[in-house]
Amino acid sequence: MEKLLNKFLKTPWIIVAATIIISALFFMQMKENTRMETDLDKYMPQDHPAFVYSDQAEEWFGINDGIIVAIENQKGVFNTATLDTLKQLTRRLQKMDEIEKADVTSLYTADNIVGTEDGMDVKAFYKSVPSSEEKLNEIKLNVENNEMTFGRLVSFDETVTVIIAEIRDDVFTQEFYEEILSLVDEYETSDIKVHVAGRPIVEGTMALLGPADMKKMVPIVLLVITLVLFVMLRSVKSTLLTMSVVFFSTLWVFGLMAVLGIPIYAVSTMIPVMLIAIGVADGIHLYSHLQLFLRKNPTATKKEASVDMIKHMWKPVVMTSITTAIGFVSLLTSQVYPIKYFGIFTAFGVLMAMVFSLTVIPAGLMIFGLPKVKAAKKGGDLESNLAYGFATKILKRRSASIIITAVIIVISIVGMQKIWINSSFLDKFEKDSDIVLTDQFINSHFGGTTSLNLVLDADGKKDAFKNPDVLKLVEKMQNKVENDLEIVGTSFTLTDYVNRMNKVMNADKEEFNVIPDSQDMVAQYLLLYEMSGDPENLNKVVDYDYEKLNVTFQLKSDNSKAINSTLDVIHEFEDDFKKQGISMKYAGSGYKGLVFTDLILEGQIMSLVLSLFIVIILLSFMFKDIKLGLIGAVPIIVTALVSFGIMGFLDIPLSTTSALLSSIAIGIGIDYAVHFIEQYRTNSLKTGDKVLAAQKTMAHSGRAISYNAIVVITGFLVLLFSVFPPNRELGALVSLNMFTSFVGTVTVMLVLLYSSNVYFKKKK
Amino acid sequence: MKTLKIVIVATLIMVAGFSANAQLTGTEIVEKAYNRAAGDDQTSMLTMTLTNKQGKQRVRKISQFTKDLGDIEKSIMFFQSPADVKNTSFMSWSYDSDKSDDQWIYLPALKKTKRISSDSKSDYFMGSDFTYDDLGDRKLEADTHNLLKEETIDGNECYVVESISKDEDYMYSKTVTWIIKDSFIGYQKEFYDEDEDLLKILSIKKYEETSGIFVITNSEMKNVQKDHKTSMVLSDVEINTGVSASKFTERMMTRGL
Repeated sequence: MEKLLNKFLKTPWIIVAATIIISALFFMQMKENTRMETDLDKYMPQDHPAFVYSDQAEEWFGINDGIIVAIENQKGVFNTATLDTLKQLTRRLQKMDEIEKADVTSLYTADNIVGTEDGMDVKAFYKSVPSSEEKLNEIKLNVENNEMTFGRLVSFDETVTVIIAEIRDDVFTQEFYEEILSLVDEYETSDIKVHVAGRPIVEGTMALLGPADMKKMVPIVLLVITLVLFVMLRSVKSTLLTMSVVFFSTLWVFGLMAVLGIPIYAVSTMIPVMLIAIGVADGIHLYSHLQLFLRKNPTATKKEASVDMIKHMWKPVVMTSITTAIGFVSLLTSQVYPIKYFGIFTAFGVLMAMVFSLTVIPAGLMIFGLPKVKAAKKGGDLESNLAYGFATKILKRRSASIIITAVIIVISIVGMQKIWINSSFLDKFEKDSDIVLTDQFINSHFGGTTSLNLVLDADGKKDAFKNPDVLKLVEKMQNKVENDLEIVGTSFTLTDYVNRMNKVMNADKEEFNVIPDSQDMVAQYLLLYEMSGDPENLNKVVDYDYEKLNVTFQLKSDNSKAINSTLDVIHEFEDDFKKQGISMKYAGSGYKGLVFTDLILEGQIMSLVLSLFIVIILLSFMFKDIKLGLIGAVPIIVTALVSFGIMGFLDIPLSTTSALLSSIAIGIGIDYAVHFIEQYRTNSLKTGDKVLAAQKTMAHSGRAISYNAIVVITGFLVLLFSVFPPNRELGALVSLNMFTSFVGTVTVMLVLLYSSNVYFKKKK
Repeated sequence: MKTLKIVIVATLIMVAGFSANAQLTGTEIVEKAYNRAAGDDQTSMLTMTLTNKQGKQRVRKISQFTKDLGDIEKSIMFFQSPADVKNTSFMSWSYDSDKSDDQWIYLPALKKTKRISSDSKSDYFMGSDFTYDDLGDRKLEADTHNLLKEETIDGNECYVVESISKDEDYMYSKTVTWIIKDSFIGYQKEFYDEDEDLLKILSIKKYEETSGIFVITNSEMKNVQKDHKTSMVLSDVEINTGVSASKFTERMMTRGL
């Protein structure tokens, strides 16, 4: 290996030219073939039973996420202008390509079925917009008397009315969103305000906003990192060459993805983040070694310096890169494809960063010459003195490091108990962003913007949901969920239609707003509804054979706590339904999001544990001692624990991005540990003195690690200025992980290394 | 007398067929199709099969009676199956004048006859893909009819007539009908929605001659936007058997068959 690398030193131009040419080819591929994946359904494992069932149920009942257009008029909605706006917006939405005509619901499309003395009356609320006071008043009364519309399509205070437009899968684009917004804008007047909300908007905006914000922030992060790196290395050449490693490895990763036709998912935007954090490390360690070498040997030629650098550093660079890469490869255990891709491509990037560090950096040295290094001052330089002093202090107070670490671990474990998982999308936006405010506005006037679909499945038993006993049980459950939970606004299913028909056929008397006792009666009411109302409405709540029922709960929040609390209450009825031969299943995007998050986290924790084991085994093999494997794992474990602990205390829920960050803890933690242990080994064998070995290691690896930490921490703190909260979280957590890994390595790990006496056994 | 009547009707149809070569306007063609002889009364068993997107079906058997009383057409229907709606009956009186239909429903479980009033002819018939208008309730003057072309489909020489609704708020902006030249049977019809997108296609699968009158015995309406279809098959068709006008009352509805 060393020989091969030394051979490369003779042909630096070829190395650089080859790297640039291949990079250019990848870049061209990227320009042509890269595409973003914004459809969140594509992220989910299609063969998971929960998703398979949900997808089927979505097909049976036409469950789609709806865009909610709310028309607000403080003077009330029952006037010519507002009803005209409602009609026109309904019609315009129906005409959009992304929306099925029949999937637009508003007061304009709804039927009003009312009971009269001798029968029943089926009418539209209005078709042509009325202008007379009398007609307007009639509409108002009709709405107020119909529980199918009052509180559902028109708010109880009569200042807001909504249009719900279900959109097809896979159609949300930036253009579509802007088209909706500009459409809505046309109808705003001094009296009439129009708001847009709903899950497709939230999902779509998030899928677009996150990566867009990343695109803006990453160059700034890179710039800051470059600057700090320059301050640390005090050499333009070294800085640029180190950054070129990050640049080339990122380019190759995305180039390869483009070649293989793999789209960019939201998590893929984390790849450059990882590569920045990890890729600069190799360069820093190489240059740090070079600088120390040149201080001692100011007259060395560039060839000598490069040969020495390769000789001492190729091993730790390869070791760190391989362990890190394997850590990421462990993400292949995840059931979620974007995460598998993330793992495998980050691993590829890490290995490429290794290759470039060992080829391009020495080649750069040969071509551009050595960086200028000030010769060592008399009496040793400040940094080395600091490092020696620090090492001495740490070793003097060994128990302090251990105790403090133990305390931190205990506190972190306490914090971890508070951690919760959140699959909410809305929680990812600023509290005062339009999207959150509109959502709150609609939630305060209507049942809720988030739907949870419960599918009751009689498993092929036809007409099960014409049985009054079953319907009464369903209604009981609906009432319990609505009454027990403030978060649940309304629920809706077949029972609502049956109740309505019973009331209508009994002269609109309120006491008949119940499920009738006879099954034939239920069947006849449903037939009557089919004959008089829009039969499509029934298809959304019950299947053709009346053996599957869709109950929709409207929730005022999409966060996992809200959804789980609803599920808990629903589950109280599981046994009752089981007695009727009916099982409970769920469907819809809210539920899928919940399952999906669980899946991601489950995979994340699995791969975290798995990679920890792999890392310990690898380190044990590399250093030929299981003790060292365990010691090397300490900073990683501490970093992961602290990271989760702080999230618990700060009430940052685990989400897909924050969970992925545990990978970075391992990736970086290993780097620090391996460099440090390897250096400690060399120094121990060279000096044979425990304290001196520690001091020398601190001055060499400790210095490089601190540079690495400072550079990456400053870089990622830039993300705190991001406009997208998840990216801010990311910046803070990456910085925190870097810091913990660094501190853990130079304190507790050093103490353990020192106390374990690994390299001093023979002498005893 | 009856035989004579049939002969006259048959002759009229023949005459209509032979005179088809004359320059008929779109309106005249549709008028002839609308006024095609249907007999004074008709009794039949209707099997209505609804098929949804997933291919699931609902089958309903209905025995129906209709009688033309000049300016009123009365019909009554009794559900035979499924069992849980057996003897549910439905009666409608539709008027030649602008007066909207009178409709009643009888639910045996409720043991009451109720009047249904509806302001719209665009209601779907029995939850099917047919509206009442599609089943022949549409007035000639409600549309502007234009003869587009003549075309042969499935071996039938047809007029192709476009009918554009005069009322902008009507559920169909226009329909295009293929009317067979010699019989004036609407053989195929396309329905376009408010936004002029194709909504439904009606196709006639089979028509039979009973007592000298053409009766469509198998037709299918497909809603292409919802991917939903309804097939209507008539059996045991009897025409001009002298169904009594007294059959079409609320009291008869409660009796069942």
